[in-house]
Amino acid sequence: MTAPAIPGTDVPDWLVARRSEASRRLGDLAMPSEREEIWRYLDLDFDPAFGSAPSQPGVAGDSDELTELWTGKVVSVIDGFVTDRGASTVASVSEQIDEGAGNDLFATAYDALAPGAVLIDGDHLSEKVFVDVQTTGVATTFPGVHVDVPPGSEASVVVRFRSTTDAPAVVVPRLTADVGDNARLALTVIQDWNYQTRAMARAVVNLGRDSGLTLSEVGLGAKIGRLHLDVNFIGRGSWAKIYGVYFGEDDQTLDYRYFMNHIGTNTRSDMFLKGAVEDDALSVFTGMIRIETTGIKTEAFQTNRNLILSSGASAQSVPNLEILANDVKCGHGSSVGPLDEDQRYYLMSRGLTPDVADRLQIRGFFEETISKIPHRDLLPWIRERINTKYITAQEEGRV
Amino acid sequence: MSNALEVTNLKASIGDLEILRGVDLVVPFGEVHAVMGPNGSGKSTLCHVLMGKSDYEASGDAFVDGVDIMGMAVDERARAGLFEAFQYPTEIPGVTLDDLTEAMAASNPSDEGYAARESATTKTLSMEPFRERFVNVGLSGGEKKRSEMYLLGVAKPKMAILDEIDSGLDIDAVREVAAMVEAMRSDDMGILVITHYSRILRYMAVDKVHVMVNGKIVQSGGPEVAEELESGGYTELQAANAR
Repeated sequence: MTAPAIPGTDVPDWLVARRSEASRRLGDLAMPSEREEIWRYLDLDFDPAFGSAPSQPGVAGDSDELTELWTGKVVSVIDGFVTDRGASTVASVSEQIDEGAGNDLFATAYDALAPGAVLIDGDHLSEKVFVDVQTTGVATTFPGVHVDVPPGSEASVVVRFRSTTDAPAVVVPRLTADVGDNARLALTVIQDWNYQTRAMARAVVNLGRDSGLTLSEVGLGAKIGRLHLDVNFIGRGSWAKIYGVYFGEDDQTLDYRYFMNHIGTNTRSDMFLKGAVEDDALSVFTGMIRIETTGIKTEAFQTNRNLILSSGASAQSVPNLEILANDVKCGHGSSVGPLDEDQRYYLMSRGLTPDVADRLQIRGFFEETISKIPHRDLLPWIRERINTKYITAQEEGRV
Repeated sequence: MSNALEVTNLKASIGDLEILRGVDLVVPFGEVHAVMGPNGSGKSTLCHVLMGKSDYEASGDAFVDGVDIMGMAVDERARAGLFEAFQYPTEIPGVTLDDLTEAMAASNPSDEGYAARESATTKTLSMEPFRERFVNVGLSGGEKKRSEMYLLGVAKPKMAILDEIDSGLDIDAVREVAAMVEAMRSDDMGILVITHYSRILRYMAVDKVHVMVNGKIVQSGGPEVAEELESGGYTELQAANAR
């Protein structure tokens, strides 16, 4: 198949070479198998239609409630194309950035077909950046965002995925970030694709010495909303706080594969994800804390709590530890269950109807995580969206 | 005139285990009564059954201000004017006390007094620092009881049942809770204090003491009943009222 042309004239050699090499491999690759642990629980019986990658962006959607709440810069990526004049693309940086994204079918397709990722680097970090990633039609698209935070500086980035139509799209987003020594990155991802879209997102963050990452993901949309994340704690003293909230309904599958790779000494990770599923939805969280032999004095924790709100819904929560170093502290907690009866009784004893009591409990359940997301101006929108999902399910008698 | 609470021949069981074996109890408006009894006598069950907790099979009559509450759901009983202060108040993570009182007010729209009672009770109980905190999360034993008393003040029920509000508290905290109960006393509310120890009754004026043994009220009288129990203990009464 022919890869869409990369806009602009200065396409670097490495990118041309990577594309043609990946294109050659792509022809030999099959859809991953659900027998592999990393793809388990997913329904991969669909046509990824890589040949439908568009050669130019469709019509961008209007700004919406969320972009209007935003007080910083907005950059648009439409059908994988960076459409803003003046926005940089990765064509101007080195090939290092995508190392570690892997070579499965979707990663290879991205390498072969992506028309260039938006680059957010030193020049753009004086104000916070909102990347509005949109798909506009049935095509398969490859949006990419790369954040490069120079040593000692701070970056604040939101990436929001949305569909401007109801079209059943396939999207293969890639998010990569390099956080320099003693730098900070606050990155929030809002996944709000339409319910027909299959999104197979891949994210890789590399952390330099004493650097810090706060990564939050809000999972709202998609038929399949997958995020496969690697955080590489390369520099000593680096840390990450990983937050997640997700709410699945309909036949949604929300699929999170989070890998914390502790390579440097004295590194620290905290994962805290909370989700709810109702109707026929499925959520998957597999969290891997891997501590290399060099990762002494690592502290790593993961917590994943799931509410099952309807009998047809289910959640898989699989915490894993792989510890090759001595002198580390690790912990994990995982739960899957219904709303808490004691809380319901207590709230009802204060005069709240069961419906109102449950709404309050749901709100509280998510609030513990939402309140930790650093992009505070977006929080009212996030709360509203999740609470509305729940209230609608109540009103339609599904929970 | 109706009473704050009238209970007649209240029975409750879990499976084959009969816990309440015909309780009769009347608490008039404006009065503070105490129910005392040894562990396992059914005191907490009495609270839960009156509040409508679904774990029990219950029969008999219970009226709050003349309204039959036995067929009602838990929240309906609360809106009918019954309040239970919990022995072990449930933690509601992520929900602040202000969120809760806001939802209480919204659940009872005909009562416009919530805002005024919130600010008044905040002052009386020095609750300002707690209102933005999550309900009962990370509170000490004494702070939890204070939070319950705050909700009692905000709800302004017709009948308040305080389940072991003195349990797990040191003597200063017991004195404080007793003072709060005294502060809540009013002509349009009945209060029932459930306790294992007579200790708290030293710091508050009760109109009547009922002694519960093996699922029945076996003795009722003035405050002197508590003093008698203090010296004699429950042993004799338990022997006389064995199942």
